Amino acid sequence: MSVKDAQDQFRLGFLAAVEDAERGVVGGLLVTNRFGRPLEFQCTTPVKPNRTQQILYGPTLRPYLLAEVIGRTLLDKVSVKPHLVLIEADELLDLRTHVDMPVASFVAKPAKDDESILRVGQQWLAFHAEYAVDRTAVQKRASQVPDTADLKEPFERIREALTETLKGPAARSA
Amino acid sequence: MDDVTEHVDRLVTRSATGDDVVRGPHFTSDALPVTDDVITVDCISPSLSVSTDVYAAGLNSALQRWSKVEPQSVSLNAIVNVSGWKPPKPKVLTFGLTFPEAVTFLPSAEKKPDEDLRPIAPPKPESEPATPAGSTEAELLGVEMPKKPLTRIKPPKDALSLEDRLFYLLQPPLQTWLAGQELIMPFEPFPYQYEGIGWLFSHSSALLADEMGLGKTMQTITAIRLLVRGGQARRVLLVCPKPLLPNWQREFRTWAEELPFVVVEGDTDRRKLTYTMPGVPVLIANYESLVRDFAAFNEGEFPKFDLVVLDEAQRIKNRTSRTAETMRALPRRRSWALTGTPIENRPEELGALYEFIEVIPPNGTPDLKQLQTLAKEFILRRTKDLVMKDMPPRLDRDEILELSPGQRYAYDQAEKEGIVHLNELGDQISVQHVFELVLRLKQITNWDPLTNESTKLDRLDADMEEIAASGGKAILFSQWTKTIDWLASRMEPYGALVYHGGVPTKQREPILDQFKHDPDKHILLMSYGTGAVGLNLQFAGYVFLYDRWWNPAIEDQAINRAHRIGCKSQVIVTRFICKDTIEERIDRVLREKRELFATILGEGDNLNRSLSLNASEIFGLFELKARHGKGTRTIGPKPPEAA
Repeated sequence: MSVKDAQDQFRLGFLAAVEDAERGVVGGLLVTNRFGRPLEFQCTTPVKPNRTQQILYGPTLRPYLLAEVIGRTLLDKVSVKPHLVLIEADELLDLRTHVDMPVASFVAKPAKDDESILRVGQQWLAFHAEYAVDRTAVQKRASQVPDTADLKEPFERIREALTETLKGPAARSA
Repeated sequence: MDDVTEHVDRLVTRSATGDDVVRGPHFTSDALPVTDDVITVDCISPSLSVSTDVYAAGLNSALQRWSKVEPQSVSLNAIVNVSGWKPPKPKVLTFGLTFPEAVTFLPSAEKKPDEDLRPIAPPKPESEPATPAGSTEAELLGVEMPKKPLTRIKPPKDALSLEDRLFYLLQPPLQTWLAGQELIMPFEPFPYQYEGIGWLFSHSSALLADEMGLGKTMQTITAIRLLVRGGQARRVLLVCPKPLLPNWQREFRTWAEELPFVVVEGDTDRRKLTYTMPGVPVLIANYESLVRDFAAFNEGEFPKFDLVVLDEAQRIKNRTSRTAETMRALPRRRSWALTGTPIENRPEELGALYEFIEVIPPNGTPDLKQLQTLAKEFILRRTKDLVMKDMPPRLDRDEILELSPGQRYAYDQAEKEGIVHLNELGDQISVQHVFELVLRLKQITNWDPLTNESTKLDRLDADMEEIAASGGKAILFSQWTKTIDWLASRMEPYGALVYHGGVPTKQREPILDQFKHDPDKHILLMSYGTGAVGLNLQFAGYVFLYDRWWNPAIEDQAINRAHRIGCKSQVIVTRFICKDTIEERIDRVLREKRELFATILGEGDNLNRSLSLNASEIFGLFELKARHGKGTRTIGPKPPEAA
C-alpha cells in the first residue's frame, strides 16, 4: 500500500465525554482507520463551567460545552484529521456549525427509505439538516468500512481511556 | 427618723459654694416615710438654660433648597453606546497520543482455503439467497442476536505512564482486530486464546505456560503479528529446538501468511549475515546454532531485537548452562518464554525463566512466596480441563503384562547378577551404578535380545491389528532408538514410520505428512526426545508408551501430541508395564511424582518438595539403602535433546 493510498483511507473520528461530579467534563476524540485501529487520540483536561455560565446558558450549557468548547478544541488540535466525526447524542450535531467536516449521530433503522440517513457498518447515521452535502460526501467513502463494523464500540474505548485520565494527578481542572 | 435623715443626706449634696443641692429625683410623698415631725428642706431651682453643641452638616439647608430641573430635548435617532458582556470561553487544555504507524505488507497471493481449517466467515452456499443490502442476519431473522463477549487488551501493571496505559486501552477488541478485515485469520481462535493473545501483546515480560496442546504457538504468532502490524516490533527473534524449526515455519505460514520470516541456517557466514539482515521482521533460530553464533559476534555487536521468544523454554532451566547464559545476554526489549512445563523437577527452575524475562535480578533466588507472587503477574497458564471442557476425553489404560518365559529368565538373571554386583561394590556404589542396572532391566522388558521375545510386542501387534482394520492411527513412544528400529521391522504390516533423532531433519516433515495423509500408514514410532514436543498429531487416536520416561511431564508432552486442540475423537493412551519387574516399581514412583507436579501447579502446600528422584528412592527400587548423600539428585537420562 502506497503512502497516498494510506492517506486516502477513510478515517473516522469518535467524540465522547465523561463527567466527573467534582472536576467537570472531560472530552476525548479518537481517530481510527476504517477498521477501527487507533491512529490518534486527543483528550481535554476537565472543564467545569462557573456559576455565571450555568445561569446564562441554562439548558444549553451541556451542548455548548461538548460541541463548541470541547469538540471544536479537540478537532482543531488533532493532527490526523478524520473524514467523519461520530457523536452519540444528536443534540451535539450543532458541532457541525463550528467545524468544516461532516458530523453524524446514530439513529434507529428507518422504517422506510430515508434520503437523509446513511448506513455505515452496522449503524445508521443522521447528519446536520443544514449540511445535506455531508451525506453525499460520506457515502462515497462509506463502502470502505466493513459491513460488520460496530461504530458504537470505539466509544467504549474512549470512555475507558477518559476514566483512566481522570484517575491520574494530571487531570487537573482547566 | 434616722432613716429619713440618711435618705435626705443621700439626695442632698453640698455644692461647691457650700450650699446643699438636691439631686433628682424630685421628692415625692412616697419617697419619704410619713411621720409627724416637721422637716425643713432647702429647695433650689436649677437653671433651665442648657447649652448644646449642634454640628453644621448642611443637610438641613439642603433639604430646604428647591431642586433645579433643566429639561433637555434628545433625538430618538441618536446612537446610544451600550456596554456589553459576554461570558468568556473556558480555557481547555488537551493531551494527545499518536499511535505508531502500522507496518504494511504486500497482499499475499490468493490461494484455495485448506479444507482442514475453519474460516471465520465461511462462504455461503450458492443456493442460499443473498442477504438484502443493508440487512444484517439478525435483522432478517427479526431477533436480537446475543453478542459474543469481546476481548479487550488490558494495560499491564508495569505500564505506569498514562501514554502507555492509553495505548493499550484504546486498541480495538481482539475479535474486531482479527475479524478478517485487516488481518486474515485462517480460523477463529477460542476465547481463551484471544485472552492469551491480548495478554502476550501487552506484556514485555511474559511466560506463557499453557498446558500442551492448547495452542501456544498460534497465540504467540498472532501476538507477534499484532506487534509487528501495530508498529510495536520490527525485529523478532524466535528460538526453538532444532526439530521444531519446520513446525514453526509451517505455523507461521498458516497463521501469519503476510509476515515474512527467515530461518537462520547455512554456514557460519551466512548465519551471521542473516542476523544482521535488515527488513526481516521475524528470524527463527535454534538453540544450538544461536549459542555458537552469538559467541562469534564481538561483544556488543549482536543486533538488538524488539522481542526474543524462547520456545520450549525449559531448555534454560539450568541457569549456569551456556544456553541459558546466551539467551539472557541477547539484546532485546521484550522477552517471552513458552513452555508447557515451567517446572519439570524443582520449583527453583522457575527462577531461571524469571531471570530470562527479566523480572528478577541476575542470579536472584526468589523464595516460594515470591515465585508465586511473580507467577500471578508474569505467568499465564491454562489447563485443558479448564478451557476445553468440550474436548474429547483422554482415556488412560495400564496394560499389565506377564513377561514371556525367555524374557523372564533373562530379566531374573540380569537382576540377580546386577544386585550381586551392586552389593560387591560396597561403599563404592553410586546412583549411576543403580541407574545402569535399571536401564538394562528396562531394555529386557521391551524385548529380550537373545530370544527376540517380547510380550509388549505381542500385545501391540494385537492392538494394531484392530486399529489398522478400523483405519485408525497410533503413535508409539520409546526411550531408545534401538527399540524403535527393532519395532519398525515388526510393525511393517501396519505401515510403520520412524521418527527419531537418527532421522535427518529434512526427512522428518515428509514423514509426518505421509503419516497424516497415507491411509496405509497406521503407526508412527517416535522417541521421547524427538517427538515429545511441538508436533501436531491430533489425527491420531491412539498413543502407546512402550516404555516409561522418568518424568511424568515429558510423558504428558508426548501424549499431548495427539490429545490436543483439533482432535475429533477420544485419545486412548496405553502404558505397557511388565508385572513383577522394575517397571512396576518405576510406575509407582512416577504416579507419586505426577501427583506432586499437579500439587505445585495448583499452588498447593508441598511446593518445597523436590520432584526428582532422590538417591534413596532410586536405591529403593532394589531395596538397597543409599550409602551417600541425602539430597536431591537428577538420576534420569539426559533430557530430550534435539537430534
